[in-house]
Amino acid sequence: MTITRRGLTLGGAGLATASSLGLATPALAQSEPIRIGWLAALTGPSSAPAIGFDRGVRHAVDTINANGGVRGRRLELLVRDTQGDPTKAVNAAQEMISRARVHAIWGPTNSGESLATTPIMARARMPNVHPCFVDSLIDPARYPNAFRMAPSNSQIDDAVSKYGVEILKLKKFAVIGDTTGYGTTTVNSSSASIARHGGEVVYRATIDATQPDLTPDMLRMRNAGAEAIAVWTVSPGLISRLMNTRANMGWDVPLVGHPAMGNGEVGQLIAKPENWQKTYILGFKNCSYGADGKLPNHVQAFVDSVRGKINLEDTTLWWVALGVDAINMIAKAVQESGGTDAAGIIGYWNTVQNWPGLYASYAWSPTNHNGLPDGDLVMSEANSLRQGAYRLAPGYV
Amino acid sequence: MLTAILLSGLAVGAVYALIGVTYNVMFSASRVMSFTAGQLGMLGGVLGAAFIGVLGLPAIAGFVLTLAACAAIGVLTEIIAVRPVLKSLEQHLYVLSTLALALMIQQFTAITWSTEPQPFPSLFGLQGGGVGDEKFWLPILACAAVVVGLEFLYRRTLIGRAFLAIAEDNFAARALGLPERNLRMASYALAGVIGGLAGFASGQLFLAFFANGAMLNFLGFVPVALGGLGNNRGAIIGGLALGIFQQSANFLFGGVFASVAVFSVFIIVLLLAPQGLFGAPAQRRV
Repeated sequence: MTITRRGLTLGGAGLATASSLGLATPALAQSEPIRIGWLAALTGPSSAPAIGFDRGVRHAVDTINANGGVRGRRLELLVRDTQGDPTKAVNAAQEMISRARVHAIWGPTNSGESLATTPIMARARMPNVHPCFVDSLIDPARYPNAFRMAPSNSQIDDAVSKYGVEILKLKKFAVIGDTTGYGTTTVNSSSASIARHGGEVVYRATIDATQPDLTPDMLRMRNAGAEAIAVWTVSPGLISRLMNTRANMGWDVPLVGHPAMGNGEVGQLIAKPENWQKTYILGFKNCSYGADGKLPNHVQAFVDSVRGKINLEDTTLWWVALGVDAINMIAKAVQESGGTDAAGIIGYWNTVQNWPGLYASYAWSPTNHNGLPDGDLVMSEANSLRQGAYRLAPGYV
Repeated sequence: MLTAILLSGLAVGAVYALIGVTYNVMFSASRVMSFTAGQLGMLGGVLGAAFIGVLGLPAIAGFVLTLAACAAIGVLTEIIAVRPVLKSLEQHLYVLSTLALALMIQQFTAITWSTEPQPFPSLFGLQGGGVGDEKFWLPILACAAVVVGLEFLYRRTLIGRAFLAIAEDNFAARALGLPERNLRMASYALAGVIGGLAGFASGQLFLAFFANGAMLNFLGFVPVALGGLGNNRGAIIGGLALGIFQQSANFLFGGVFASVAVFSVFIIVLLLAPQGLFGAPAQRRV
C-alpha cells in the first residue's frame, strides 16, 4: 500500500477532528490529576483563618497523594491568594473555572469574597465548598453547587443565645458589636435570637473599635441591668478594652460571643490575665477539650499524628481540621461518584449524612446545604487556648 | 459616673489638644496644614511600644528615642512634603503632599509593625482604672507640660520669639536677617516632639495601633478649627472640650450616635463663628 500525500493529509485531519470531538477524552480524563482550586486569603488583614486552613489543606492533599491518590489519580492543588479582596477573589475564581479548569473549589474563606464569587461559580456549575458564615450564601435553589462546611450566622447567634439563656440561666443581655457591617448586622440578628430564646435585650449598641475608653458604654450596660454581654467584633483592641473596663468597674458580668475573644492578641492586650475570665466564645464540639482535658478520640488521634508536622500553636485547630475535611470531602465525592464530573460531585454531596469529619459531622441534602449540625456548636472558655483548641465552657462538662 | 466621664474625657481631650497644637506649630512656621500631625501621634505610641515593650529599653531611654525619632519625622515632613510646595501655597498642593506622606507613614507602620493594636507597656505600674490610673493622667500631664513649655519658649527665649516673628510675617522676619528655613525646620522638629509626646503619653489609652494616625488626624483637627487656626490656647481649650463632650455623648447616646452629636456641634460652632471660637476674623489688606 502506498501512502499518498492526500491520504496522509486526510488521515491527519480526521485524527484532529476526532480528538476535538472528544473521542480521545475518556482515556485522558481517567489519568489526569484531580484539580482542586483553593481560594485563600493568605495575606492581608483577614489572613489568619486561611493560613490555618492552608495547613490542613496541604496535609490532606499530601496524605491522599502518598496513598496513591483517588482512583489512581493524584490531587493537584491550585492556590490563589485573594488577599481578602472580593475583586481578586472573583478574578481568581474565573481563572480557575475558565483557564485552569479545576474540578472543584474550596473557598473563599470570608463572606465578603464569597458573596462576590458564589454567583459566578453557580453559573459555571462549579462544585464549591466553603466555610463562610453569611446566611444568604447558601440557597440550594439559586446556588445548587455551593455547600457550607461551617455554621451559618443564624446558627452562631442561636448557639450563643441558647448558652446564655438555657445554660447560664440569664435573662437580661446587652448586645454590642463594632461599627463594621458585620458588627452592625450581627447586633441585630443576635438580639432577635436572644428574644426568640426567651431572653431580654436591655441594651444594644455598636461601638467604634478605636474608641479608647469604654467606661461610659459599660456604665450604660450596667445601668440597663445587663446580666451578660454578647460581643460581636473581631477587633482585639475593642475586646481587650471591654475586659479591662469590666475588671476596673469590678463588674463580673460574663462576656459571650465571637471566637475572636479567645485570640492570643487579646491575651497580650489585657491588663491582667484574670481579666480574661468569665468569657465564653463559640466553639466546636470536635475541637474542644472535655472534662478529661482531651479531644474526641479521632481528633486527638489526628493531633497526635501531626505533632511536629503542623504547627497548632499559632492558629486554631478547627481551621486546620476544616482544611483537612474540605479536601477529604472533595476526594470522597470523586471516589464515590466515579469521576470528576461536576454533576456527580454535587450529586454525592447532596446525599452526605453524618459524614465523620475532624471538625464536624457533616450532613447535606438536596434542600439543605448547611452542613454543620446545631449539636456540633458549643461554647468554650476564651482563656483556655492550648494547641489550637479550647476547653468546653461551664455547663457542658 | 461623672468622675469616669470627666477623667476619660480630659484624657482623650488632652491628646486631641496636643495634636491640634502640633498642627498649629507646623502651620505657624509655614502656613501649611500638614496632615502628618496625627501620624506623629500614632508614631509616638508605636515607637514607644517598640523601644520599651519590644526592645526592652528603660522607659526614659524609650521616651527620649521616641521623641527624637518623631522630631526627625517632623523635619523629614518639612523637607519632603512642605518645602517643595511652599512657592505655590495658593494652589493648596500641600494637602496632597502631606496627605501622601501621612499615608506612606501609615502603610509603612502597618507593614513593619502590625495591623492589629499592640500593647503599650505600663510606665509607672499605676493601673486599675480611676483617678490614679496612669493611662488617664499621663496625657493630661503631657498637655500641661506642653502648655507651660510653649509659653516659656515663646515668651522667654530668643528662639521662641524668632518663631513668633516667622509666624507673624515671614517676609519681614527674613528682611531682619532671621534664618527662616532653619527656623521652619526647627518648628517642624518641635511639632514632631509634641505629636510624639501626645502618642507616647496616650499609648496605654489608644494602644500602639497603626490606624490611630487617621483618627488623630481627624479629631486633632477639630480643636484647631474650634479654637482658631494657629491659636494654641484655642486648640487646648477646644481639644479638652471635645474630649469631654465626646465622652458625655458616648454615655448619653452610645458610640455611633456620639460621633453624630460631636460633629453636629462642631458644624454649628463653625456656622456661628467661622474663624473659630478664639480666632480673630481675617483682616483684608487694602
